[in-house]
Amino acid sequence: MMPTPFLLLALVALATGVATGAKLPRTWLALMMTGTVAAMGAALSVLFGTVDWEWRSGILVGGEPLHLRLDGISAVFLALLSVVGGAGAVYAREYWSDHHYPASAPRGRLWWSLLVLSMGLVLLSSNGLHFLIGWELFTVSAYFLVTLDRGRSEARAAGWLYLVASHVGTICLFAFFASLAVQTGSWDLGPMREHAGLASLFWLALAGFGVKSGVFPLHVWLPSAHANAPSHVSAIMSGVAIKMGVYGIVRFSGWLPMPAAAGWVVIGLGAISALLGIAFALAQNDFKRLLAYCSVENIGIIMIGLGAALLARTHGDAAWGRLALAGALLHVWNHGAFKALLFFGAGSVLHATGTREMSRLGGLWRTMPWTAGLFALGAVAVSGLPPLNGFVSEWLIYLGLFDAVVGKQPSAWAAMPAAIMLAMAGALALATFAKTGAMIFLGAPRTKLAAKAHECGRWMRVPMVVLAVICIELGLAPIWFWPAISRAAGAWNPAWASVQSPAPLVTLGFVHLALAILLIVAGVLLWRKVRANGLRRGLTWDCGYAAPTAKMQYTSGSFAGLAGGWFAWILQPVRKLRRPRAHFPASAISLERFPETVLERVIVPVGGLVLRASAAARRLQHGRLSAYILYVVVGLAALGILVLFSSPS
Amino acid sequence: MITIFDIILRLACWLLVAPLLPGIINKVKAWVAGRRGPPVLQLYYDLARLWKKSVVMSTLASPAFVILPAVAWVALLGAAMLVPLGPAGAGLSFRGDVLLMLYLLALGRFCTAWAAMETGSAFEGMGAVREVSYAVLTEAAMVAAVLSLSVQTGSISLATMLAPPAGAGAILLAAGLFIVLLAENCRVPFDDPNTHLELTMIHEVMVLDHSGPPLAVILHGAAMKLLLFAVLLAQAVLPMGRFGPFASAAVLVAGVLAVTAGVGVVESLLARFAFRRVPLLLTTAFLLCLFALLVAWKGGMS
Repeated sequence: MMPTPFLLLALVALATGVATGAKLPRTWLALMMTGTVAAMGAALSVLFGTVDWEWRSGILVGGEPLHLRLDGISAVFLALLSVVGGAGAVYAREYWSDHHYPASAPRGRLWWSLLVLSMGLVLLSSNGLHFLIGWELFTVSAYFLVTLDRGRSEARAAGWLYLVASHVGTICLFAFFASLAVQTGSWDLGPMREHAGLASLFWLALAGFGVKSGVFPLHVWLPSAHANAPSHVSAIMSGVAIKMGVYGIVRFSGWLPMPAAAGWVVIGLGAISALLGIAFALAQNDFKRLLAYCSVENIGIIMIGLGAALLARTHGDAAWGRLALAGALLHVWNHGAFKALLFFGAGSVLHATGTREMSRLGGLWRTMPWTAGLFALGAVAVSGLPPLNGFVSEWLIYLGLFDAVVGKQPSAWAAMPAAIMLAMAGALALATFAKTGAMIFLGAPRTKLAAKAHECGRWMRVPMVVLAVICIELGLAPIWFWPAISRAAGAWNPAWASVQSPAPLVTLGFVHLALAILLIVAGVLLWRKVRANGLRRGLTWDCGYAAPTAKMQYTSGSFAGLAGGWFAWILQPVRKLRRPRAHFPASAISLERFPETVLERVIVPVGGLVLRASAAARRLQHGRLSAYILYVVVGLAALGILVLFSSPS
Repeated sequence: MITIFDIILRLACWLLVAPLLPGIINKVKAWVAGRRGPPVLQLYYDLARLWKKSVVMSTLASPAFVILPAVAWVALLGAAMLVPLGPAGAGLSFRGDVLLMLYLLALGRFCTAWAAMETGSAFEGMGAVREVSYAVLTEAAMVAAVLSLSVQTGSISLATMLAPPAGAGAILLAAGLFIVLLAENCRVPFDDPNTHLELTMIHEVMVLDHSGPPLAVILHGAAMKLLLFAVLLAQAVLPMGRFGPFASAAVLVAGVLAVTAGVGVVESLLARFAFRRVPLLLTTAFLLCLFALLVAWKGGMS
């Protein structure tokens, strides 16, 4: 079946959604559902079909003819967009309801549909100019969503930082698309690997798309924007919007010839991102900031896979590159699914307690069993543990890296450290999510806020359940999704267009299935055995102490202390410590804050220097005519000297 | 029919032999110290007794407190089934099974840490933190070790990786993996399984609040993990592929016994390290495995 009717339906539904969003919430929701399901249909019909969809028209937009294209790569991202776009729309109905936010909820619906629509446009457009228009529209609508709660100054500051950082990236993209148009003579995009002269343009694309994808050290905008946005917005930002940066890098590394160093740089960036991103995540006390840093890690994992694929392409299309690329593309889906699930879970906690600080939560499993269970599932998935989806994609990337090492080509020297850093990042992710889950949901409530929490309602729960099912599905039956991933890999590098799976995905799926069944059976049997033997409740053992209080529990800071200490050189914690004094100490304080190192220690000081230099330069401009004439004379004299002494020829 | 028989035999092997190892370690320690020591089968008696006991559960804990030890146990058993047993090979072998094994061990760790945090006790928090943090370094060492075996044999499947001898880097690899074994199984010098001072423990402090059948499951799982690491270490270093079926089985048993006795001797001779020195030792293990990897790389070149 051809995707044309689906895409047309999606376009009409989403565009009508933009128009009706403000006034008619029910109609809007129905339209969003129609639009995202239709977009999903289009993506699936391309992914599981055999032909790409392409549409050229004579209609000129901005002086350029419309050219749309949906191939394997864009379809992978479109499928993700439709899942999270639809789920978030349902979630927002309760989370950001008209009842609680009468002013911003209508605006939120409008920008949400515009965001989904513009991201769809970016994915479909095959013309540099239209790509840029879509990109800008997407950036701006995301800005309005991040600052939906514009009464809060943090949200405004985060939005501002996001807007500035995004536009620094957009400038690179302007330069990229303009140079591309100049060198090829047309704004039209498509495979152009035979133009060897275009290779160096990749660096511009990497910088521009890198800012959006939030790869370390270009991630400076990401933590505060994701933390301060409403949670359904964080979910789509983290799940889909940063993937648009990944899409750009995947798309143009597939279409353009690559400089020889591209693979090395991308895999290096990925490995650093993975390890440092998760180290920052571990240190956070704000759970939404933690999830945001974890996105930096996951983008790093995707970049490791992509970098390995690039290396393989320069080594004669080695088969291990296909494994790594497939892992990277599958991780795009996986991260989209479990990160959206985790952000929805975080939103539900925030909704119930009103705080993002883990050291004020605890014991929420009692009042929020659904959220706790679903969040725990997301935590297992994001830690890359079997039998869920995170493991499948990381396993594919590992296989690629291991094969590269076994192949003993020079690229092994990139694959070896990448594999080891991926393993360390995995272990740190486990630590991070053991901490997050434990601090929020386990133990005793640390404050009244936590004690009075309530479970989220149906509209918030259903999208979480859907995403959880997707995580389980991708984990237990990865082979079902293989044709789609394989098709995208084939679109990236035609030499890899083969249906056969190079990895034993069927076996892995069966092992996962068997494991899942056994886990459940063993858990149930042990629970029944315990019930049969008799179960008493008692106080937690605290060395015989009879009156433990909630304050005696381990905190987020103490949990991160050990492993976080190994990364103190980059985390640069700001500490405030007042030790207890005298025999009956009245007060003692220990505060620890983890700044965004790259932003606060590099960009802000450098920016300050630039500002000061500019302020100093402004003194030259004071309006005194005599001095201006002096400038002109000095300038002329300097030019004269230059001419006299430069070239006698 | 044969497959079912094979699986049952293999399960029996892992489930029944595992609790023997802690007993052997304790016997070795007793001999070195000139004591008689507890019987070798002590853990079997403990498990049987615990299985019949009733359970006291913290007022703060959810049902996951009981269910997660079972999940961790299944994960460890699954990892064990992927490890080849000398001539018998692995229960299931496929490309990349070694990574599944590593991540199943990680799943076990996640479940134990999560169950520990259920109680809201600061002691258990300490244990969980140590467990998950040291794992960052052991994981790096394990992947370096696996990479060195992969380079050596050109394979990423446990069954073919472990058959040939480890080559020139064998001693480095053995030393690195032995340190990892001590750390992952919480033995001296990382942890002292015999102390009862909550502040200084890793694994034991995480399971302080467990009792009855869940504790039995945890103890049995820990014994299986020890056996798994011992089998892995013995096969990684010894040239298993060179012997006939009976000889290789004997060599495997001897290797596992040697590793177990080695753990006992180390525990008798060394004191537990201060916690700040633990990362240093683990980094040493990582470097040993990394050098083994470089040696394997170089060896293949010539």
